[in-house]
Amino acid sequence: MKLIHCVIFLLCSFPLLVSAQQRTITGRVIDDVSGSPLAGVTVSVDDSTSNIPGTTTDNEGNFRITLPSSARQLVFTFIGKTPVTELINARSVINTSMTTADSELTGVIVVGYGSRRKETLTGSVTNISNREIQNTTHVSLAQKLQGKVAGLQIRQLGGEPGTFDNMINIRGFGSPLYVIDGIVRDGSSEFQRLNPDDIESISFLKDASAAIYGFGSANGVVIVTTKKGNKGRATFNYNGVVGFQTPTDVPRMANAAEWIQMRNDAALYGTGAPFVTDDEIQKYIDGAPGYESTDWYDVAMKKRSVQQQHSLSASGGNEKTQYYFGFAYVDEGSLLRSNDLNYKRYNLRSNITTELAKNLKAEIFIGGRYDIRTTPGDNFFNIFKGTRVTLPTEKPYANDNPLYPAVVTPSNQNPLILSDRDLTGYSETVNRNLQSTVALTYAVPFVKGLFIKGVAAYDLNSYQGKDVGKPYKLYSYVNNEYIASPQRVGTSSISNNYGNSNRLTFQAQADYSTKIGSSHNLAGTFVYEQRQDWNRDAGLRRLYEFYTIDQINAGSENNQTNSGTEGRSASQSVLGRVNYDYKGKYLLELAFRYMGTYSFPPESRWGFFPIVSAGWRISEEKFMQNLAPIVTNLKLRGSYGEVGAFDGTIPYQWIQGFTLGSGGRYEFDNGSLTNGASAPGIVNPNLSWVIAKTSDIGIDIGLWQNKLTIEFDIYRRDREGLLAYRNLSLPNTFGASLPQENLNSDRTQGFDFSIGHRSRIGKLQYGVSANFNYARTQNLYVERGPFVNSYDRWRNGTANRYNDVVWSYTYLGQFQNSDEIANYPIQNGDQANIRELPGDFKYEDVNHDGVIDDRDMLPLFLGANGTNDNQNPSGKNPKINYGLSLNASYKGFDASILFQGAAMYTVRFSEVYAEVLAFRGNTPAYFYDRWHKADPLDPKSEWIPGKWPASRFNGDVGSMYKESSVWRKDASYVRLKSAELGYTFNPRWYSGIGIKKIRIYATGFNLITFADPFVKAFDPERLEGLFNAGFNYPLTKTFNFGVNLNF
Amino acid sequence: MKKYKWLICFAAFFLGSCKRVLDLEPTDKLQASAIFGDPQGVKIYMANLYYQLPIEDFTYFRQGFNWNSGDPNNGGFAPAMATDEAMHTEFGDFVGNDDFQWWTQGYKLIRDVNLLIDVIPTLEISEPEKATLVGETSFIKAFSYFALAKRYGGVPLMKTSQIYAGNADDLKVPRSTEKETWDYVFELCDLAIANLGTDKGRRASKWTAYALKSRAALHAASIAKFGNLAPLSGDAVSQKLVGLDASVANAYYKLSMDAAQAIMTSNQFSLFRPAPANPTEAAENYRMIFQDPNAASSEAIFIKGFTLPGTNQGHNYDIWYQPAQLANGWPHPGRMNPTLDLVDAYESYLTPGTSAPVVTTADGNVTDYNGFSAAKTYIRYDNTNDIFKDKDARLWGTAILPGTSWKNTPIIIQAGYVKPDGNAVIRTKDQITVGSETFYTYGAPSTTQYSGFDTYGGNNTRTGFSFRKFMNQNAPIIPGWNQGTTDFIEFRYAEILLNYAEAVVESGSGDVTAAGKAVNDIRKRAGHTVDIPLTSANVQRERRIELAFENKRFWDLIRRREFHTQFNNRMMHSLLPLQDLRALPAKKYIFVRVNVPNTNPKTFETKTYYRYIPGIGSNGLVQNPQY
Repeated sequence: MKLIHCVIFLLCSFPLLVSAQQRTITGRVIDDVSGSPLAGVTVSVDDSTSNIPGTTTDNEGNFRITLPSSARQLVFTFIGKTPVTELINARSVINTSMTTADSELTGVIVVGYGSRRKETLTGSVTNISNREIQNTTHVSLAQKLQGKVAGLQIRQLGGEPGTFDNMINIRGFGSPLYVIDGIVRDGSSEFQRLNPDDIESISFLKDASAAIYGFGSANGVVIVTTKKGNKGRATFNYNGVVGFQTPTDVPRMANAAEWIQMRNDAALYGTGAPFVTDDEIQKYIDGAPGYESTDWYDVAMKKRSVQQQHSLSASGGNEKTQYYFGFAYVDEGSLLRSNDLNYKRYNLRSNITTELAKNLKAEIFIGGRYDIRTTPGDNFFNIFKGTRVTLPTEKPYANDNPLYPAVVTPSNQNPLILSDRDLTGYSETVNRNLQSTVALTYAVPFVKGLFIKGVAAYDLNSYQGKDVGKPYKLYSYVNNEYIASPQRVGTSSISNNYGNSNRLTFQAQADYSTKIGSSHNLAGTFVYEQRQDWNRDAGLRRLYEFYTIDQINAGSENNQTNSGTEGRSASQSVLGRVNYDYKGKYLLELAFRYMGTYSFPPESRWGFFPIVSAGWRISEEKFMQNLAPIVTNLKLRGSYGEVGAFDGTIPYQWIQGFTLGSGGRYEFDNGSLTNGASAPGIVNPNLSWVIAKTSDIGIDIGLWQNKLTIEFDIYRRDREGLLAYRNLSLPNTFGASLPQENLNSDRTQGFDFSIGHRSRIGKLQYGVSANFNYARTQNLYVERGPFVNSYDRWRNGTANRYNDVVWSYTYLGQFQNSDEIANYPIQNGDQANIRELPGDFKYEDVNHDGVIDDRDMLPLFLGANGTNDNQNPSGKNPKINYGLSLNASYKGFDASILFQGAAMYTVRFSEVYAEVLAFRGNTPAYFYDRWHKADPLDPKSEWIPGKWPASRFNGDVGSMYKESSVWRKDASYVRLKSAELGYTFNPRWYSGIGIKKIRIYATGFNLITFADPFVKAFDPERLEGLFNAGFNYPLTKTFNFGVNLNF
Repeated sequence: MKKYKWLICFAAFFLGSCKRVLDLEPTDKLQASAIFGDPQGVKIYMANLYYQLPIEDFTYFRQGFNWNSGDPNNGGFAPAMATDEAMHTEFGDFVGNDDFQWWTQGYKLIRDVNLLIDVIPTLEISEPEKATLVGETSFIKAFSYFALAKRYGGVPLMKTSQIYAGNADDLKVPRSTEKETWDYVFELCDLAIANLGTDKGRRASKWTAYALKSRAALHAASIAKFGNLAPLSGDAVSQKLVGLDASVANAYYKLSMDAAQAIMTSNQFSLFRPAPANPTEAAENYRMIFQDPNAASSEAIFIKGFTLPGTNQGHNYDIWYQPAQLANGWPHPGRMNPTLDLVDAYESYLTPGTSAPVVTTADGNVTDYNGFSAAKTYIRYDNTNDIFKDKDARLWGTAILPGTSWKNTPIIIQAGYVKPDGNAVIRTKDQITVGSETFYTYGAPSTTQYSGFDTYGGNNTRTGFSFRKFMNQNAPIIPGWNQGTTDFIEFRYAEILLNYAEAVVESGSGDVTAAGKAVNDIRKRAGHTVDIPLTSANVQRERRIELAFENKRFWDLIRRREFHTQFNNRMMHSLLPLQDLRALPAKKYIFVRVNVPNTNPKTFETKTYYRYIPGIGSNGLVQNPQY
């Protein structure tokens, strides 16, 4: 948007300047490190409200500009470089050099429906440039941002290729809105799949300034601006990187010797009889022939996987037309030995800007993407579970004969077989995405400063999924015979799913700016916006009676199913904004959005939402002049805004009716089902927006010519009218639940800050920056039935409390002997303490009533209970996120290091990682350090203490798995997120062959992690995943080598 | 804010109309007139009502009804395991407070059916069609209130649908007394009987309404007669919200008797294959009724169908309860373990009229559960099921006994062996070679070859018995959720006969001869040749045997207030088949009666005769005693 704006100014200001008194300045711009000329640098007068045309440097870095004699300084801006301001001081030749920017401290920042100069910004907006994004190498754009922006919370939930399983969240508000080239596009998944080389910059609107986007923007807005071409000869840029990935850590499972001893313990403490004889156990310990241990992880998974990313772009143009073309290819392999889990992506972008006629500029931006994810016939969860639970005493093949995959215990999850698409089938997901935008900008002649713009954007996403579940056989080898055990009998199937979603956005925009007198700057923006979405999806499925080929027609016609849905949505808005400043010192911005949606009844579907923000640039005040050498910039700013959201609202709730397809099905005739219609519920004609009120107070400080910069913000977002059901207060004899109503409210508040320092010592340039964010959410009003008593209120109340509290027993230690158990308060309910053994966990009788039960639980942890859907684990998010980045360049070398950390949250696993011998399968090796009898066969022998209780099945333990600090762990961590070392070869060596720049670099990702030793093995950043089992794909540590060519 | 609209229109004039953009319509909602104007539309709505009926079928578990949604993994703990019929292979649980609740769902069904009742008079359909709708809706409502009454006692009676006008307090309806509640059930039954036709089918008919009334009235009568065996106290008792006066017992027995008699004298129903040639045929006939109720249509009064596999359609009995040997890749088979206690209850043809406990030792002691001792003299048998030789055919049709065949596979259930030296290896995986032959603890070398006692995957029976009734012998196990398609009989003629017999014998009135014949007809169908007299004990044993695993036992123990005496620190029992290698070269087996390994005693608290009422904070109802 920055360039567009400049061009708009240029185009529109010509006629207005003819009369001014002018002078001409020439000069040359070079790169301060390499000394090579910089082509395409924008040179302009530092006066954002004037219409004085700028120019750009040619291929030799030379420029020539004509200015009014009143102009005092020139500003040089260039993508990826720190802008330079030169005082003219009567010079007619100005040569300058530009430094590679790590962040654009000054300059133009993209905000909602326009752009602002950083100095006059009143909202809390952080901008990150391409260069800062690119010094971390990862397939997901989210991972390239983590730790770099204050208030931007990112968490890698899982590492599976092609799933983009990252939580992205601004200031703890929830999933933000994504705007790409001025249009609201789909969410995080679309964002993460952008080609990072196509991105010029990303702005994060963190406070009320986001509210101008309306719908969904209560959670903040991410604005991506893609690159546009510059005038000049075509320049090409190639960036290629190849690397390999290894898991950050994977907990080791027990080997055969460890497992058989724990299993035998479990049999003894459960049934009283040993599982196998001592002789057998000894054979496993000795690894006797036929008693070797199988490491199932090693059977199915490799040490490292390979990824590569390549991108090629071309940009250039003439006076009238500029272009940018980008192409990228990404290939990410997996850790499966079968190599059947992969992700590939192709991105193409074409951004063309042209002057159609005088004062009329057209921009055509087209971005296309094709990506494909393939997985073997069972999902990674089950494959990985197979590496965890399958007994180490078993082998992948029956009788070690590779023709006969083995039946394995406990669940036949033979990971080697499940991960092989030739045996079990496959699943393939293809997405085709098109984002197209056409914008026409007209500089209205005769009205200085007025621009009219019309934008139409059409986006299409086509989804295609195919699942083939082949039948296969597992074998057991008994009495010299291979006995087949057919799998997927009757469930082997093929399915094809199609989805198609479309979005059409229109915008009509008018911008006007003017200067009244010498001190009053006024600018206004007025926009009409309309958005329509429609989608249709369908799925086909057939079962195989006999598997022949992976085509839908090859399936049986006897049991075929199909399904489909269609949906539409629409919204309309009018919005506007007025900016006023007095001498750039006192800043005021007023804005509004008036918007309507299809999902509410006609009478109440429109809402009006105001936004106000103001700033005071203290550093511009006269009384600050004495401090000027130290204080370069000092600004106080504040903002407040309201925005309506309707996330999670079920549309059409005001329409009463019998709902088809949602009732139960019944078989009135043998073999024929009747699909029931469900009764109408109660409707709520008053359902309306959730209103989010965001406020922010911030201070920006720049000291010593901005060598040291500090930004600090404290913020709060209150949401009112959160949807809730009045269920609990309606008698449950009524028989229907109330519809959603705008009942609840919550509050998220926190602060973030960033500190940056950059300087130069001789030829060494360096920068350090740190950012920090703390945010927490509390419920204010929570609709519920009356409390029965004060204990009920204390224990079950959630109003006016943080939303992330986990109740837990207080862990006191392990029982040391049976006497202690016998004399201890009952902690296992009806079973008293008969199932507790020495070594078991004991909990505190907090209320001293002699029984340890639910009433002894205390709110001890930050976290969230229950399994999670991997999408928005709100209570589970870390409350503190921070990053520290260091970068330096010296001659041809450049280096950057990023530390990133999170704190104030917990993880709690279930199943295999947190239950001894779960599913009666293999169990983590750490459980081997356990309490056990010196002689397992002699019940009277001594207990030998260990870290964990005696091994038993779930049914035989007492209160071992109750929530406590044993299982719920603080997952705070700090990690060396990324490190990059690059070297740019001296251009003199190769400029003769047409190459402008050659840079090679090596990067690492997730290199070192510091965390609780128990949690570290699971990677503290990763989410517990489905069933809290921890079986989602491991996070990876990556090492990459890349090359960057400019020619 | 209207003034902004012209701005929008102005701004949007070149983009086309601004008016229609937001006027979208939902794609899944229908008005009442569009549904109820046609019998096919009514059927669509009826499907949702019948689906919600509290039928205690194959999808009924402690978590509730219709437990067959996407991933219904509840461990396979069947209601039979909350009684003395069966144990789970792994769990040892008993009836928990939150189990078998049906409150919110019940009142949802009642509201849904009331909405239809409201519109019946307004429908433009013929009077007979209206009458059928009245009958059908009354039946559904009666069924619902019966399910509520047997769980909660007296409940709020929503005789017409409630309208919510913004004040939740207006919706509060106090509990009726338990008597009023039962009387309402009978009133609805009578309304159904009066309006419904006699066509048999899978929708309500006169016969299903009679059957329901017979069952419900027997339940109410029993509570009146036996309620004082387990006295409760508290507000709910003093307000008569729970409990019935003993004085109403006989009147209720009469209702049950009359309803049963209406079916018995209708000549519409009969026992399936009432006169088998021998016990083997009787066992097979009995099993056939449940494998495909449609083939036993003379006996089935009301069938709930499960013909299509899939989520919310099929069920999981086959995959949960198949013996381990036939799991076909399913990881958790074999969960239903019929208890030795149930097996003991079956008669022997040699001693008609009494239960015949399994005798394992020469001294005939059937109360010794101390385990194997080399000093005891065990009776040796030639195979693992000889010991059941003369037991009632229905045992063979209900349980898979050790060494019997299922799907052409001998089901091996063995707990160990006694070595030639007299030391036993029991429930520890081991093997011994004597001479040239190797013997295995569990009767075979590989986990895929046996179905008993190995704790390996929790898939092997720990009582010595696996499950046969309801299992489909012809269909292979499809290792996925909700693939079972066996239909369930909710009302069958044998139950009606037993209801009749019980009402006669307990009330001491009615036709004793007809009642005696009812019981003996059922026994004849099971291969018995000697008639037994009509006594309360004989009727109850017959119910326990004939209706085993049909989810009736739980309610029989409840309504007759026997649960707390039957389950007072009670252990369930197993029968361990051991190979006796002391007898080599002869292949001999002995049996040991033991407590089910690795379980705890069970005790039924008297408060559990009623479930607690959920949500009293907002519905303002009087809670049931001791909750």
